[in-house]
Amino acid sequence: MKFEDRTTALPADVLMRVDKPARYIGGEPGSVMKDEKDVKVRFVMCFPDVYEIGMSHIGMQILYGMFNSYEDIWCERLFSPWSDLDKIMRDENIPLFSLESGKPVKDADFLGFTLQYEMCYTNILQILDLSKIPFYSKDRTEADPIVIGGGPCVYNPEPIADFFDMFYIGEGEVRYRELMDLYEEHKEKGLSREDFLRAASHVPGIYVPSLYDVSYDKNGRFTGMTPKYEDVPARVEKQLVKDMNEAFYQTNPVVPFIRATQDRAVIEVQRGCIRGCRFCQAGQIYKPVRERSAENLLKQAQTILKNTGYEELSLSSLSTSDHRELKVLLETLIGYCNENKVNISLPSLRIDAFSLDVMDKVQDVKKSSLTFAPEAGSQRMRNVINKGLTIDDILNGSRLAFKGGWNKVKLYFMLGLPFEREEDAVAIADLCNEVAKVYFDTVPKEERHGSVQITASSSFFVPKPFTAFQWARMNTPDEFIAKAKITKQAVRNELNQKRISYHYHDCGTTIIEGIFARGDRKLSASIEYAYNHGAVFDAWTESFSYEGWMTAFKETSVDYEDYIYRVRDDDEAFPWDFIDCGVRKEYLLNEWKRAAEASVTPNCREKCAGCGCAVYGCGVCTEKRS
Amino acid sequence: MKIRFKFTRSGPMRFIGHLDMMRYFQKAVMKSGIKAAYSEGYHPHQIMSFAYPLGVGMETDGDYMDLEMTEDCDPEGLMEALNSVMHEGTYIKEVSVLSDTALNAMASVEAADYLLYIDGDPEKLKKAVSLMLDMKEIAAEKSGKNIREGIYEAYVSDDGNAVFLKLSSGSKLNVRPADVFAAIRKCDETLSLRMIKRLEIYGSEDGKLTPLIKCGVAK
Repeated sequence: MKFEDRTTALPADVLMRVDKPARYIGGEPGSVMKDEKDVKVRFVMCFPDVYEIGMSHIGMQILYGMFNSYEDIWCERLFSPWSDLDKIMRDENIPLFSLESGKPVKDADFLGFTLQYEMCYTNILQILDLSKIPFYSKDRTEADPIVIGGGPCVYNPEPIADFFDMFYIGEGEVRYRELMDLYEEHKEKGLSREDFLRAASHVPGIYVPSLYDVSYDKNGRFTGMTPKYEDVPARVEKQLVKDMNEAFYQTNPVVPFIRATQDRAVIEVQRGCIRGCRFCQAGQIYKPVRERSAENLLKQAQTILKNTGYEELSLSSLSTSDHRELKVLLETLIGYCNENKVNISLPSLRIDAFSLDVMDKVQDVKKSSLTFAPEAGSQRMRNVINKGLTIDDILNGSRLAFKGGWNKVKLYFMLGLPFEREEDAVAIADLCNEVAKVYFDTVPKEERHGSVQITASSSFFVPKPFTAFQWARMNTPDEFIAKAKITKQAVRNELNQKRISYHYHDCGTTIIEGIFARGDRKLSASIEYAYNHGAVFDAWTESFSYEGWMTAFKETSVDYEDYIYRVRDDDEAFPWDFIDCGVRKEYLLNEWKRAAEASVTPNCREKCAGCGCAVYGCGVCTEKRS
Repeated sequence: MKIRFKFTRSGPMRFIGHLDMMRYFQKAVMKSGIKAAYSEGYHPHQIMSFAYPLGVGMETDGDYMDLEMTEDCDPEGLMEALNSVMHEGTYIKEVSVLSDTALNAMASVEAADYLLYIDGDPEKLKKAVSLMLDMKEIAAEKSGKNIREGIYEAYVSDDGNAVFLKLSSGSKLNVRPADVFAAIRKCDETLSLRMIKRLEIYGSEDGKLTPLIKCGVAK
């Protein structure tokens, strides 16, 4: 049926009462319609946030394309209804529906959540609630879909484990076909939900929380997890794509009618990162780095632009500067884009002569600002976090940029890092001052167009699983604020203080994020409590309530401080230990010890640190070394 | 070379706002590969303009977009190229080549036809429409201006489920169909508005209201 002849799932009068009704109509160019009768599985994929955020996520676009390339599967999309529609749906008893078919979510075979940040957890419950699916896996019946989660948050899924029937650990391209085949087989044979969950636990990468017993010591601290049955694996292995050039890529993505947060075509340059920054979770869980070839990327870019009509292209990866064919890639892309009136939105590149030259070619005359992410102010702290960026890199990069006509610099920092001292908070101000000084030393008075502007901002550090800092103690809100105030005062004391503006982020969400990052299964009760008392869209400052969460922990008797405000013992059992993500715990512990000594560990290309990922036999681990 | 396209919009696409429609047409132009001209400056964009913003929820049988091309081209070919990449729910149905001196679409607008789909009793609707026409003063919701003289025609369709309106539009006196319905509803509160469809937009040629597709056409 043609789009113009379709009726929307929501009645027109409802659509006319909500903000941005196009969030809920589906049917965008690139969206896939199938006949329910022709498919065996209806898979509803949900990004538990508002449409414009979810539609900006390329992971979801990739999996949507991959699933729909299978004839027997119809993948549909679902996002969190905004509060205006949420209220109408409750008042008028309208069940939540998926965008493509407009049919109730409850009738789907699978409901998959992509979990990109911890602050979306209450939105999971909103989706289940509006779909009339029980919150807890144990309460679901044959009439409910299988609820599955994926994405970076599943590297510690325990705080939400009770809400999910299963999790997929790792990159979705690898095992979904196998899981779907297994499901179809069970469906055809008329086997039970329980049978399917048990069988699914044998699929590599699939974790079925209900099949494990969790133990705690007398103080309620997590001590371990054991499978309930012999055939259920004790360890779940992360799944990863070995060759990015062979992996499925979505060249015909869904193009939203309304402006999404990322309103452009995207190519994924590489997955993973060679740099072992000790605070960074993405750097560890996506190891080893695997590149797409420049040739392949150019072809993908051309196809996506032709299929979508986007006027802007962006490059996605954790550290694009490390791509070995970056030069040829950017040069060909810039040529192609200029010819076809497409803008390139450059990723943050390491600032050097080459990248400045590239920026010169794509940026308009009003040179926008340059960005550095030193993450810490002092060299000692940068060594602690293993950020291989020196003061010389920053100052030389700034000098080149100022000579090239830029006069705005953005600097990103973190506060509350382990082993941080008061002098490190002061060093942030000193570094900003040094950069300003470089400007005045480099650019003669008569060539200054407006003066240099330095914008420094700091976020507060959250220790994450599978990083060297998973043992670290997190700062309290008072400690965070005290440190930010030291930096702020130090900026005021600098000679060039008028050229520097310093901001720091709110720390309420940081604390809650920290609790979910390293918490355990006891937290599901707190999340349910918070949701039932009004928490939803916690990633949005206007709807977040710190006090609400504190009440939730208290009312559900969860000692949240134990998750964040102590240094964990070297041999402590972690709720996420059951996941094999390639990077071994001994390696991370060694990195934790090296951090204490402020020792730098070389990146993957300089020297293999023996993290454990070599077993995958792919990416940087198998590159020829000069 | 300036081209005027007449397009339709129906079905769920009516829930898209005006700015998003513009972005939608820009993408369609990019996809089709037709040679649109770009503005000068640091942020070049297609030289595209619309006659009359289409409100969220409205369908149309006759809205207009002007597009400047870099070179002379076959207008029918352009229409075909665009329609081949357009999404279901919007179609280009007519095309004309404008003279170099033609007013742009927005500046040309003088009047527009609408169909208001109404839920309610047809007899009551007929009565309410005639009561509305007897009013001397009808205030626009936003400006408070009297829009009565801008209501050129108003009558109920044969099946009794819709009201046809011919309304003054553009810079002189812009009458919004929703304001006219508000006046009808004042005469009978049991009536409710289901949907508005724009049927045609007029400019002026030789002092006569003329569909925009025939205004400013190259000889």
